[in-house]
Amino acid sequence: MVVSELHSLVLSHFLFTGAVLFIFGLVGFLCRRNLIMMFLCTEMMFQGVVITLVGFSRFHGNLTGQTFVIFVLTVAAAEAALALGLVVLLFRRKRTLDPEAWGELQG
Amino acid sequence: MTESVILEKLATLWPEIIMISGACICMVVGLSPKQAVRRSVVWITGLALAVAGLLLVAPHFGWWAGETSGGAAGLATAMFVRLSVILLGLLLWLTSWGVPDLLPATQVAEAAAAQGRPFNPSMVCRGEYFAFFLFSLTGAMLCASANDLVWLFLALELTSLPTYIMVATGRNHMAAQEAGLKYFFLGALSVAIFLYGFSLVYGATGTTVIVSTQLQPVSIAGYVAGLQGEFPPLLATGLLLSLVGLAFKIAAFPMHFYVADVYQGAATPVTALLAFVPKMAGFVSIMLLLSVIGWPLPVPVMWVLWIMAAVTMTVGNVLGLLQNNVKRVLAYSSIAHSGYLLVGIVAGPTTSAGTLGQGLAAVLFYIVVYGLATIGAFSVLGCLRVNGEEAQTYDEISGLSRRYPGLALLMLISILSLIGLPPLAGFVGKVYLFGSAISGSFIGLMVVAAINTAVSAVYYLRIIGACYFGESRIKIELVATRAGRLSAGLAAIAVLVLGFRGGWLVEATREATRSVSVVDVDTQPQVAAPDHLSSE
Repeated sequence: MVVSELHSLVLSHFLFTGAVLFIFGLVGFLCRRNLIMMFLCTEMMFQGVVITLVGFSRFHGNLTGQTFVIFVLTVAAAEAALALGLVVLLFRRKRTLDPEAWGELQG
Repeated sequence: MTESVILEKLATLWPEIIMISGACICMVVGLSPKQAVRRSVVWITGLALAVAGLLLVAPHFGWWAGETSGGAAGLATAMFVRLSVILLGLLLWLTSWGVPDLLPATQVAEAAAAQGRPFNPSMVCRGEYFAFFLFSLTGAMLCASANDLVWLFLALELTSLPTYIMVATGRNHMAAQEAGLKYFFLGALSVAIFLYGFSLVYGATGTTVIVSTQLQPVSIAGYVAGLQGEFPPLLATGLLLSLVGLAFKIAAFPMHFYVADVYQGAATPVTALLAFVPKMAGFVSIMLLLSVIGWPLPVPVMWVLWIMAAVTMTVGNVLGLLQNNVKRVLAYSSIAHSGYLLVGIVAGPTTSAGTLGQGLAAVLFYIVVYGLATIGAFSVLGCLRVNGEEAQTYDEISGLSRRYPGLALLMLISILSLIGLPPLAGFVGKVYLFGSAISGSFIGLMVVAAINTAVSAVYYLRIIGACYFGESRIKIELVATRAGRLSAGLAAIAVLVLGFRGGWLVEATREATRSVSVVDVDTQPQVAAPDHLSSE
């Protein structure tokens, strides 16, 4: 059984990894100045959620959390397609990936 | 067991299935080399909406023995939300009528095709635009029938993802792409935040089912009922993060930064959609999540929402005063109205009898009324062009009443309803909403909301002042299609009718929320409810 081999792994390890990924993603999102890096940071936040869900799923002994993960990953893939399309559209317009270049709307 | 559950659930979703099919047909038909065929996309969209609406009401009138069932929100709430999304969706459809046709790329491609050269489908986004329009409406409808966090998450994503594309491609202007960029990135952030909240809720309760009438599977509501008033921090954190993430959908306080930029940058008909559809989806989701813990809300949750409501409406109204772009003003008004709506969420259903005690019913009523008024205002703006660009500033719409008295009148009705002046529906909505705050003894919040309403009148009256008393220095033109004007007219009529004869809708919302107020689950502790996580 996988569980007995991994008996030293407890829920807090999963939660800690998940939270760290989520927070790194959040900090990166707020600090990075490159559209693709910013998008990858939101993906990292998603992965934090995924690890948290898997950890809880193992803790509760049901598969609901892992089912949820499949849907999260699917939507993350859809978002990736959308984000890259959008970034290409923007890059063609301004030849830069710096979000600071897009500051026309203010007030 | 699971197979029959899925089939039973699918049988209740015929309207949504029709709309998704309509969207897929639009995507294909929009690429047709024949002009008449590809232009029929608009009609297919309207047809899908109309058929979905008929299928939705058919079992009610006995025309068709279809199944109806709601999710956690209960049958009546789901029905109310789905029907209002379809009806307001028809107005939005009229508003959106000419959007893809007005794009320069479309006109170039159509002109080339008219001269006998082959049609280049990659330059025209007509099919995509209306397909995404239908997808977004379907997402909002699905939110109402959610009974599972996974379902709720997917429905919310289905509402939002298409709108990002509609914002970025609905207008040939740098501003639209910038708006799409901001909207998408903040949207992705908000999704990550509420997903983390959902994962913590799942962690605390061990299930993603929101409400369940049976003992198995265990539901979140059942778990909370088994807690006997205790409230584990993990569940509280999860709900709080979910609320913060959902604040993006409803344009409320911690996540409201994008609103003005996105509303200004997007094509005006898309802005009208953004003001209603995600807001409806977000408020329904918030109601679902909070119905798990039930009203009166636990004190910390109540204060979080109280502060969110007060800050949201104040920020919206104060910043609204400083703008001179009408679309930005209406964006801040959208933020402010989310604040008013949160008042109803804080108050919730109260035990005292009488119409004025129903916070949730008031929220449903007010969203519909706000949606009508704001769609009316944006539709009028969407009809107007200055030098081929959208009319946006006070200067550009000044003197509208002399040139187009009809449109100015429609604008007047919509704006007066947004202020909440007596004969119009906005007044009924505000009385209903603030009345629920009084009967829930949230006098402080009611006072904040009343002051805010007074402040908001200043910028609303500036719009009317510009239309009626301003001098027209800039030449305003109308767009070719009449559908936008029709939409504004219908919205204004609905606002008037609901103002004078809105009683039936108030009754309908009361009926709709009766099932939310009473979460009927077994109060005995659930079998598989896990111990609190400190046992690790």
